Amino acid sequence: MSSAMIEVSDLEKTFGETRALDGVSLRVDQGEVVCVIGPSGSGKSTLLRCINFLEEPSHGNVRVNGRRIGFIEERGRVRRMSGRQLAAMRTEIGMVFQLFYLWPHMTALENVILGPASVKGLPIREAAAQGQQLMRKVGLVDKMAAFPEQLSGGQRQRVAIARALAMQPKVMLFDEPTSALDPELVGEVLQVMEQVASEGMTMMVATHEMGFARRVAHRVMFMDHGRLVEVGTPHEIFERPREERTKRFLNKILA
Amino acid sequence: MNLDFSIALKYLPTLANAAVYTVFLTVTSMFIGTTGGFFLALGRTSRFVWLSGLIWVYVWIFRGTPMLLHLFFIYYAAPLFGLTLDAIPAAIIAMSLSACAYTCEIIRSGLQAVHHGQVEAARAVGMTYPKVIRKIVLPQALRIIIPPYMSNFISHTKNSSLASVITVPEVMLTAQMIYSSTYRAIEILTAAGCIYLLLTSCLTGIQIWLERITSYETRGLSSRRRRQLGLEVI
Repeated sequence: MSSAMIEVSDLEKTFGETRALDGVSLRVDQGEVVCVIGPSGSGKSTLLRCINFLEEPSHGNVRVNGRRIGFIEERGRVRRMSGRQLAAMRTEIGMVFQLFYLWPHMTALENVILGPASVKGLPIREAAAQGQQLMRKVGLVDKMAAFPEQLSGGQRQRVAIARALAMQPKVMLFDEPTSALDPELVGEVLQVMEQVASEGMTMMVATHEMGFARRVAHRVMFMDHGRLVEVGTPHEIFERPREERTKRFLNKILA
Repeated sequence: MNLDFSIALKYLPTLANAAVYTVFLTVTSMFIGTTGGFFLALGRTSRFVWLSGLIWVYVWIFRGTPMLLHLFFIYYAAPLFGLTLDAIPAAIIAMSLSACAYTCEIIRSGLQAVHHGQVEAARAVGMTYPKVIRKIVLPQALRIIIPPYMSNFISHTKNSSLASVITVPEVMLTAQMIYSSTYRAIEILTAAGCIYLLLTSCLTGIQIWLERITSYETRGLSSRRRRQLGLEVI
């Protein structure tokens, strides 16, 4: 059995009265691509945000590459990580957001190399050389000196993917990476993601792109009301879903 | 009415000398006020409710009462605490306290204008809080706060004339002293006005320059930066 890269156990997250996550447990193995599907508000985003501790779980815990995120466990005692420890751990977890969140005061290439240069302390020339490689990989060699506002949504998201990859993470989290894009720009982003997946990256992708999930995912997780309703191979989920809620959701979305 | 502007010319060196006090008071208190205001703004936007509340109260008081009152208060109240302050230190303290309150609010507006998602993206690549502030928030906030900050700087320059009431020999007090002995109020006040206008024009010039150097997209990358990044130099 391959080793677990992400382990989530009994995760709960409440925002005031709302239960965004209601007891989620799962495991993602190294090199595995998992797509998380489900209606809006089902908790997909919150789940991903808890995994890199942008959201603090109300209950339960998350382990990434064997270490619990946000907390240190020592001799049976649990204490909070310092900001520095948390930041160091986050360098292993790449995150791509629905709304890109590129830094508008920097060019595309500078967005990509800021992490390696300022967090890892790589010399700027070295970081830039690596950054250029990544820009080539996402097909944006001619946009390196462009500012985010000069780029299309699809181009922005590809820069955002390159920015996350630049930290050489062990896991990549994609939070609905194509949901804010014009339909004709979705393909170019999915293509880059597919390439990343083919290189063996461990990925968790919250998405509404069922074609991508079917083609690329090793496993698909269906969430509803903050719970994991059904987990299986794409074939199992899409061809013969067992749960009534999964069937209803797929009927609606694939109709 | 006969006006004799040669009087103004004659006293110009004296007024220019007084302008040094005006500049010193303004720049020093703005420097302290900006440094203090920056940390107050960080505290005000922090997740610590007590800290944010405390700073809110500070701003409420110091922005809500006249600086003239602060000047008198510091100058006359200090001896009660066993401190005798000269006019200039007293003026600097009072003006800094006021500047802190205003710049806190201006800087806060800049910090909060930077979308939270930008901060999350920075944290997601592993930046610590100070780095996020330095690399992501401040560069963007800076650009946003330049116009209100410089407006406040200009107001503050003019308000430094209030320090005349506690005997700081800045431009306004010096002008008053000159015209009460020469009876040439209009000429001397005109000269004093010109000095203020010159000082505030410098600030306007600085504002234009700051706005230009922070408009990064229109300027693009410098050739030095391009070389550093290994991009073609155009």
